[in-house]
Amino acid sequence: MLDRSRMKFDPDDAGLGAALRGLPAVEAPADLWSSIARDLPGRQAVSRRRRIAMPLAAAASLLAAVLLWLPSRPPAPTPGDTVDASVAATADAETERLRARSQRIEQWLAALPAASQQDGRNLMATVETEDLIALVDMQLGAARSAEEALPLWRQRVALLEDLAVIRSTPYGLSGDRSLADASTGDVTSL
Amino acid sequence: MSTHSFQIDVPETVIARARRGEVAAFEQIYRAFERPAYTLALRLTADVEQARDVVHDAMLRVFDRVRQFRGDAPFWGWLRQIVLNEALMRLRRGRALTFEDVPDDESLPSDAPAPWLHADAHLLEGALARLPAMTRSVIWLYHVEGYTHVEIAEMTGMTTSFSKSQLARGTSRLRKLLQPTAEVAPCLTVPA
Repeated sequence: MLDRSRMKFDPDDAGLGAALRGLPAVEAPADLWSSIARDLPGRQAVSRRRRIAMPLAAAASLLAAVLLWLPSRPPAPTPGDTVDASVAATADAETERLRARSQRIEQWLAALPAASQQDGRNLMATVETEDLIALVDMQLGAARSAEEALPLWRQRVALLEDLAVIRSTPYGLSGDRSLADASTGDVTSL
Repeated sequence: MSTHSFQIDVPETVIARARRGEVAAFEQIYRAFERPAYTLALRLTADVEQARDVVHDAMLRVFDRVRQFRGDAPFWGWLRQIVLNEALMRLRRGRALTFEDVPDDESLPSDAPAPWLHADAHLLEGALARLPAMTRSVIWLYHVEGYTHVEIAEMTGMTTSFSKSQLARGTSRLRKLLQPTAEVAPCLTVPA
């Protein structure tokens, strides 16, 4: 993974890498494992519950996906709609809509089986997206007005939609469409 | 292989047991990776409490998701990425991973020997900790973990050229901080 095509070779630069790699590894605190182990049982209980609920959740997820995607599609425009839409588009209303959509996607995600198979890339994408959502949540917590919060809600919904696609197509990023389609049904066509 | 190396093979049987939720297998995985994980977290955060929290949360995340690991990539790489994401996430939350300009330092003669070639490990650790979090992270990820500028740019949300410039400026700053005779004003602070 080393970037061999770096700008220009500098012996000092290489020396720095060697010096840093030569630094001693640091011992983790002795009580760290016990603190991790303390937090494990609850998480395992959650996982066990998810395993039990898996067959039901798998069936429910496809139905939920249909319900989830349908409301996001704009209705076919009619001549009178343009004026109405521009009047109704206040920050508060849109925030409410985004908040509700965000909640729906989260409920759908929560119903997904935890043990669904994901390849390494999908798993990392899931972790990354969840981290970004956490970051947006923190920013939302600090937002001082609806105007400030609105773009963050848009971002949150977009990230949740990404997450829904990643979670519902376990092999999607691996490029193996046959696996993806076989494992979930073709969610992308919803 | 570096003493920080994550490149530890975990037997399939241990991963399988961890997938079944056996805490003893989790502990085996934790024990194998506690040093490289904690070292990476500490080098990036330069704070023992934050490093502890990073490893704690990252390990819980590993344990939570190990059943989803398919094994088409090395387990160590997957685990390292989780620790790294957790550390970068924590730095972002604390707003430590924001741009902080590191000035070019041209006061040193260009033919001066690189000070890290003979620097005491303690001094080098101290100098590294005094760099801004972004600069320190770029230097560590590039030199020790072996990530490319493109990969670092993706992880930090910056551009490739920004990563390169942070590396160059950080290297220059480290040189200055490690000069035995130089009086370095404590103008760089490590965000808590």
